[in-house]
Amino acid sequence: MSAPELVGGSAADRERRAHELITVTIDGRRVQVPKGTGLVEAAAAVGIEIPVFCYEPRLGSAIGACRMCLVEIEGLPKLQTGCTTPAADGMVVHTGASSEAVAEAQNATIEFLLLNHPLDCPVCDKGGECPLQDLSFRYGPGTTRMTFHKRSLEKPIPISPTIALDRERCIMCFRCTRFSQEVAEDEELSAVNRGALSMIATFEDEPYRGPFSGNVVELCPVGALTSTQYRFKARPWEYERAASVCGLCPVGCNVTVQSREGRVERVLSRNHPEVDRGWLCDKGRFSYPHLYSEERILAPRRRGVRELEQLGWEQALDELEGMFERARGEVVLALSGTETLELAYALAKIVRQGAGSDRIVLPEPVSDALDPFRVPISALAAAEEILVFEDCPVLDRAPLIELWLKQARRNGARITRIGPSGDLQRAYGEAALACRELAGKDNALGKRMRAAERVILLWSGGGAAGGVHLAALAQALGLDEKDGSGALLLPASPNAHGVGEAWAAAGEENRQPKQIGLLFVSGDEAASDPQVRRLAEHARATVALTLFASDSGEWADLVLPATGYLERNGTMRNLEGRLQRLRGATGSPVRSELSWLVELAGRLGVELPGNEAALFAELSAKALGGVSLASLGDRAPLPPRSEAKTFAIVEPEAPPTLLGGPLELIRYRALFSGPAVEHVPELAFQRPPTEVEISPEDADRRGISDGDEVVVRSNGTRVTLRTRINVALLPGAVRVAAEHCSELARGVEVSRP
Amino acid sequence: MAERKRPSLVLAGAEQGNLRALEDYRRAGGYASLEKAQKMGPTAVLEEIEKAAIRGRGGAGFPMGQKASFLPSPEQATAPIYLVVNADESEPGAFKDREIIDRVPHRLIEGVQIAALAIGAERCFLYIRGEYLSEYEVLSAALAEAEAAGLVSVPILIHRGAGAYICGEETALLESLEGKRGQPRSKPPFPAIIGLYDSPTLINNVETIATVPKIIELGGEAYAEIGVEDSTGTRLFSLSGDVVRGGNYELPHGATFRELIEACGGGVAGGRKLKAIIPGGSSSPVLPADQIDLSMDFDSIQKAGSFLGSASVIVIDDRACMVQLALRLTQFYMNESCGKCTPCREGTRWLELILRKIEEGRASRAELDLLLDVCDRILGKCLCPLGDSNAMIVASYVKHFHGEFEAHIKHHSCPFGETSSLAGLRSPVDEIYRGRVGQEAAL
Amino acid sequence: MAELRAEIQAIAGRYPDRKSAVIPALRLVQERYGHLPPEALREVASALGTTPAYCRGIASFYDMFHLAPVGEHVVDVCTNASCALVGAAQVLQAFERELGITAGETTPDGLITLRNAECLGGCGSGTVVSIDERYRQPVRPEDVPAIVEELRRG
Repeated sequence: MSAPELVGGSAADRERRAHELITVTIDGRRVQVPKGTGLVEAAAAVGIEIPVFCYEPRLGSAIGACRMCLVEIEGLPKLQTGCTTPAADGMVVHTGASSEAVAEAQNATIEFLLLNHPLDCPVCDKGGECPLQDLSFRYGPGTTRMTFHKRSLEKPIPISPTIALDRERCIMCFRCTRFSQEVAEDEELSAVNRGALSMIATFEDEPYRGPFSGNVVELCPVGALTSTQYRFKARPWEYERAASVCGLCPVGCNVTVQSREGRVERVLSRNHPEVDRGWLCDKGRFSYPHLYSEERILAPRRRGVRELEQLGWEQALDELEGMFERARGEVVLALSGTETLELAYALAKIVRQGAGSDRIVLPEPVSDALDPFRVPISALAAAEEILVFEDCPVLDRAPLIELWLKQARRNGARITRIGPSGDLQRAYGEAALACRELAGKDNALGKRMRAAERVILLWSGGGAAGGVHLAALAQALGLDEKDGSGALLLPASPNAHGVGEAWAAAGEENRQPKQIGLLFVSGDEAASDPQVRRLAEHARATVALTLFASDSGEWADLVLPATGYLERNGTMRNLEGRLQRLRGATGSPVRSELSWLVELAGRLGVELPGNEAALFAELSAKALGGVSLASLGDRAPLPPRSEAKTFAIVEPEAPPTLLGGPLELIRYRALFSGPAVEHVPELAFQRPPTEVEISPEDADRRGISDGDEVVVRSNGTRVTLRTRINVALLPGAVRVAAEHCSELARGVEVSRP
Repeated sequence: MAERKRPSLVLAGAEQGNLRALEDYRRAGGYASLEKAQKMGPTAVLEEIEKAAIRGRGGAGFPMGQKASFLPSPEQATAPIYLVVNADESEPGAFKDREIIDRVPHRLIEGVQIAALAIGAERCFLYIRGEYLSEYEVLSAALAEAEAAGLVSVPILIHRGAGAYICGEETALLESLEGKRGQPRSKPPFPAIIGLYDSPTLINNVETIATVPKIIELGGEAYAEIGVEDSTGTRLFSLSGDVVRGGNYELPHGATFRELIEACGGGVAGGRKLKAIIPGGSSSPVLPADQIDLSMDFDSIQKAGSFLGSASVIVIDDRACMVQLALRLTQFYMNESCGKCTPCREGTRWLELILRKIEEGRASRAELDLLLDVCDRILGKCLCPLGDSNAMIVASYVKHFHGEFEAHIKHHSCPFGETSSLAGLRSPVDEIYRGRVGQEAAL
Repeated sequence: MAELRAEIQAIAGRYPDRKSAVIPALRLVQERYGHLPPEALREVASALGTTPAYCRGIASFYDMFHLAPVGEHVVDVCTNASCALVGAAQVLQAFERELGITAGETTPDGLITLRNAECLGGCGSGTVVSIDERYRQPVRPEDVPAIVEELRRG
């Protein structure tokens, strides 16, 4: 059981109190808890249930609204809400188990809640995992005394393509509105009206459009907020569950994957207190249907005369074997950062040991420079100062980090963002330079960092050189010596570090072929990379291992069907450096990669273990310090920091000069982009609008107002977009989501049509 | 009956007219107490307030001195200290704060300044109910005058509410003032520690604050000699209902209902018979007519099974059907419920449904028992006194006028028929809940 | 409306926390628009740096904010305890007869909205009627035709 939530005070206060123990008596049983522990947790510590609806510690201070947690405290005349009451030394508490008044009150609360609650259980998705059902059974009256018409409302109301609202079922616990207002801070979901007319609503018909909206579905203790994807599929007890990890971004939120009859039907949070705290972003939660898109490749395909023709696996392997043989010594591997360590290692072995070539295209440069400054993501919540080098918005790169930053700010942290739209405006590409400046002894901001106790640096953007620049700054600020301080690089891909490690472990030589006999591209991420596409044009033969053929199909000679992360067993290393286990949902429409890679390896004379666990063991012995798979457990631990090393200062690259236009185009990869989102129609409303962000000054100079349609031009390419004035954006820069940029060059001009 | 002394304290000087103009207030001795308080210093001022033993005049009756003592001292406080004046008078039967603001606004302002200096408040916020537009204008004008005359060293911001009874509850008021929905907070923590904007806050009723200048003038001990032991000083009793002269009457605690109703109010109107007395606003349990000689002080009324609350006395004569009255009041609580806690949100509505059925003559005996059981289930479980009040008063109507409830059930109709003074009465919920106006109704 | 925005921001500046200005801001905007249509809520939200959904949550909580259109004049008739005892039901009925509408409705010409109201704080001399936030009391059923005439004359 995780440590009880301590109520109130700053992080330092809570820490201090955690060491002070007090004794309370609950239903005659004595329990020792840290001072400040709430009564609900204190009772849970001795296995006593104090039932709750509105109480959820992750939503801030308890509000005591539902009245389900009423308890009797000796010495106080009125019943008190357990959720708002911190345990005090010597307190004597009675729950419904030892107080008739409390049992009566709980019975009354359930009776009141059920007065207007519809008898929807047979058709309600929540049935079977519904706290209202469970608590009614345990604490409520068995029959109803309500003889009047129950209130009737239109239902369900789609508050977004992914979430349905049933107002009749709502028990006004305020969990969803508190999430919207106090966690995600989007304030899009609010309570309207007053008294018994109160209900939950978005504004007008506008959908709840936010990257974290799906969390309200898990928070809702009844079937008022439900997932439309999951609607009417099956009952919770009919699903198989696997404890896995999301593979869409470098945070690696812990998830539970529920599947039935070989299909993933739901993704739920699994609460790793140091990584995700039980929240998920909507991309990780709602994008699983992409696995069942009609566009998904289910069998190997070879480029024929006119189009891609389907192949049997035997034929495909023959083809592959042939390609490898013909390209011996001239194979280039392009690895997506989405691959597991095991898959990357298997491919690396085949290429390095089977094809005698060491040329690799990795998603991004990695290094262990930041290992001495490793911190868990949760350390953000207790930080005093947070510096974010934000060329790419944190929200789009590692959404949960943005949630943690909001929590940090609420806890009193000072957050300074440095970048084109930061508190400190710096041009795109200047992050490394900024790091160097901040390391200087006389830098004011740097001094503030040095004076603080808990400082965390974040880098969200390109040019990181594996974190080297950030590490240099972290070292200059002495962060390796301060508890609760550290530095984290937010890579662009989920397992950039892991994939790099796996490659390195598969060989030691450095044979760099000049010609590309065979280009093997693993993953949709790499397949859509323009750099990889250019390589493909120069390769004699190309193979792509992808989920979809929209990119790879255009240039690959052989397309092999890939599994998705939800279907894989394997490990990934997240941005903290934490190694986490993925467990595939039962069944996949597609053969697991390892099953045919083993065959291919055999044909090429490479020994490849037949299952992921054995692969991991081999890889671990070689490059991961022998860590065992079992030691990763269900909630993987954070590896300890390594010793700080002095390393050579890497000169920051000077940004190239602008060509083609006076404004610098900053492309960013929006969170809701990529194949996982493109193939899920109900996520289309979250895709980035066709907008160009521009500073007020640049807009004024061009006579452009907010909302105007404009043309963005560069060297022969024109794109029409809608203007959005961003008051925080640095003049001289404009920002467009990568998928709307088309062939635009780095320098652009923006004008009215 | 011997004429009881009726010292005029809160309305002193304004008995014949008003003291809206600064010069009129000054001529009546105004702002002398502020000067005196400034010389005394905060500790001495607080001592006088303690000695005066003045209890909150808003409804809860909590001693002001004690409340102020919960605040950290300005030296200890880690956040600015605020003073908040509760002018959200919305209790049915209460209209005294309106009169105070209308006739002696400067006395209120002076009281604010004295209280503010006593607790070391940095700013004062005065939350006035939105409907009191004219009074807001009077107060604003008086404040402007006082500011111009250099009398306001602790700035006062007057904030208008927007129509919600629940905002009279102190923590709901703070929420509303902070720009949120007016839903009460769980206590503890109390406003003295975590109040407005998470800062230590003293929040008091208009009348309580408006009494402070007189306390300083007379001295706490002298003030405490007026009234009775546990209820010192004078009160503005709001008298209304079936009485000849309704109005606000300043009397010392210890005066009886009879004095208020007959001597001040001219007795029951139309020569009719007194049937019931509501002693402290609609939220107080009803008392039968035989309680007319009860002393109007906190202790006596509590012993009689009700409470003095806001000292808003509603007189009910024998034309009124008590079932209809209980129903109308339940509809009030249901309408004004903020919706945050389960027993109030669901319970007041259930009470309304059952009571309406009884009133319309369609209920059974079992449903009367159900009504009382629901009251029991609400009582003591709510987040704030609103739901509790509804439950408590309904139980009191059934207790003291059981016969009328029985008659509705037995004879399937109101025993008063069309002659009840409340016949044909409708409430806002009839429109709101049947979907026609106001708050957006269910879709 | 730039001046509305400037006014709202000026109000917000008077409070330690800008969010406190939401009620005065909504009142200000309601005066300009007549009621609070979605655009009005968007304006307030934009001026205060919050969302329209939030503003709607606030506006819908309070009786004095009208999310649906109301007449040029709003007539509130108290029918709570003290006024009820002295005949508020009859006063309300008199208004309904005179205006030809039921409480809760607006006259077809858009001139007058009639509402049944809770205690307005004038209990000593009921029935209390608030017209455009100004109190008339005591109002008896026979006073009603003249009041309505006055409103109609403008």
